[in-house]
Amino acid sequence: MNGSPLPPRAVADAGIDSAAENAAARRLAAHRRARLCASLLVLASQIALLAAFIAFWEYMTAFDKQAAFMFGSPSAIAGFLLTMASDGSLWRDTYVTGVETLLGFLVGNVIGTLIGLSLWYSRFVSRVIEPFVIALGSIPIIALAPIIIIWFGTGLTSKIAMSTLSVVIVALVTSYKGAVGVDADQINLMRTLGASKFQIFRKLVVPASLTDIFAGFKLTVGFALIGAIVGEFMSSSEGLGHAIFKAGSLYIIPKVFAALVATIALALVLTFIVGKVEKLLMPWRRLG
Amino acid sequence: MSAVVSPAIAAGARPPAQAGAPPLVVAHVAKSFDADGRVVPVIGDLSLTLNEGEIVAIVGPSGCGKTTLLNTLCGLIAPDSGRVSWFGREMSGQPAGVGYMLQKDLLLPWRTALRNVMLGLEIRGVSLSEAEERAHVMLDQLGLHGFADHYPTTLSGGMRQRVALARTLVNEPDVLLLDEPFAALDFQTKLLIESDTAKLVRESRRSVLLITHDIEEAVSIADRVIVLSKRPTRVKAIYDIALGTERTDMIAARESAGFVDYVRRIWADLDVTRN
Repeated sequence: MNGSPLPPRAVADAGIDSAAENAAARRLAAHRRARLCASLLVLASQIALLAAFIAFWEYMTAFDKQAAFMFGSPSAIAGFLLTMASDGSLWRDTYVTGVETLLGFLVGNVIGTLIGLSLWYSRFVSRVIEPFVIALGSIPIIALAPIIIIWFGTGLTSKIAMSTLSVVIVALVTSYKGAVGVDADQINLMRTLGASKFQIFRKLVVPASLTDIFAGFKLTVGFALIGAIVGEFMSSSEGLGHAIFKAGSLYIIPKVFAALVATIALALVLTFIVGKVEKLLMPWRRLG
Repeated sequence: MSAVVSPAIAAGARPPAQAGAPPLVVAHVAKSFDADGRVVPVIGDLSLTLNEGEIVAIVGPSGCGKTTLLNTLCGLIAPDSGRVSWFGREMSGQPAGVGYMLQKDLLLPWRTALRNVMLGLEIRGVSLSEAEERAHVMLDQLGLHGFADHYPTTLSGGMRQRVALARTLVNEPDVLLLDEPFAALDFQTKLLIESDTAKLVRESRRSVLLITHDIEEAVSIADRVIVLSKRPTRVKAIYDIALGTERTDMIAARESAGFVDYVRRIWADLDVTRN
């Protein structure tokens, strides 16, 4: 600005605006940079921690045959992952367990959420069935596995049933909690606008419960996977649970870990998908 | 006890509205509550009338039973004795043609401003295109042009309350029941929304019952201010506010001669003492 040919007043006028705007833009950019730096630092620390853990594991098992047998070694696990990937068993097992988990997740959540939400309609019915829901919810699903195998056979259906049972009560309870947690003032407002009970349900209770329903979805991804794996433990010919069980029985510990790595990856992918769907279905949550 | 049922009610028809009857008449309403076996009278003996096209403000000391009164008017609680009649007919349950607005805006976070305003029309089965058009007109009238597609979380408190006002007015209610609708807003925003509300309401000759604790708000906007006593509530005083009947500018109203005098007299009536 120094040595500008413009008269001083015009310089000042033009200067204030653009200077203020520039400063604001700079502050915003600096703020963004700082936030990006912070998240990069977190990511770098996570990678470093994981690398340190793997290095420690590799080092401890490298010169000790006993430890290598008991705990496997990261290089052996990687080797098994490569073999399983090249002979196709990794993909087939992951696919089988993924389908079981996904179907159990969907069936369990659809049934649980429908029942949980519709319980909003009747305080009486929900009070009557409450102790039964609690009783069913407290049964360890693994205890049902032998019966499930008898009822549904050793194929895909029994795994889906296990997975569904692991999910359904949680989905029921979270969606019911969401439905009865709707603001009473909001319900009164709907009434004063002349809404019928069904309109209140459809236009207020269901969308208001979505937050809780999705919290349930995130929780039940893991439960669905546990159900499928436990089902495979009991009786199966394929799937990650089958691979883990078989490798464990044969004391091939690195192979157990290799299948576990695939299981973790599957869980992460499913959780990621649920998060994406949530963002898609609830665009208003991204704001504010 | 033999029930006497009027033929009209027995036939399932609603009693007809009497032509020229005031929108709201409250006659000798009393209400007590049962608290641990003790009877606590909340409303003593309350009578008031809301005439057509009139803005009436109700002020009272804290805890004087304003909410109980409002709930009684809406038909959410039945009075122990006395009558509430809307447009000349005694009411049971929810009165028709009455719009409410509370301090909380109660906007649905998953609906845009436009879709929030459309809510009542949708519920009544108005076609989507018509509802959309009417909601747009209403938002424009309240200075929210260009914000139709915004979600509530991205709007300021004043704008949210304007959307709530639009949601109430778009249903074209004959009577508006306002329960401290502007209490949570900052002073400047409050004056502007009060002015817009007064303008829209007076243009369309709607009747308004405004419950508030803000004496200045009551005096500046209302044609009549009713002062309630402490519990058990009864009407302590009524002021006809002669600051011009077509007031729509709340800033000017507060500056007009006589304004301060009304405020002072009502303040004295409220009998606020420090304990």
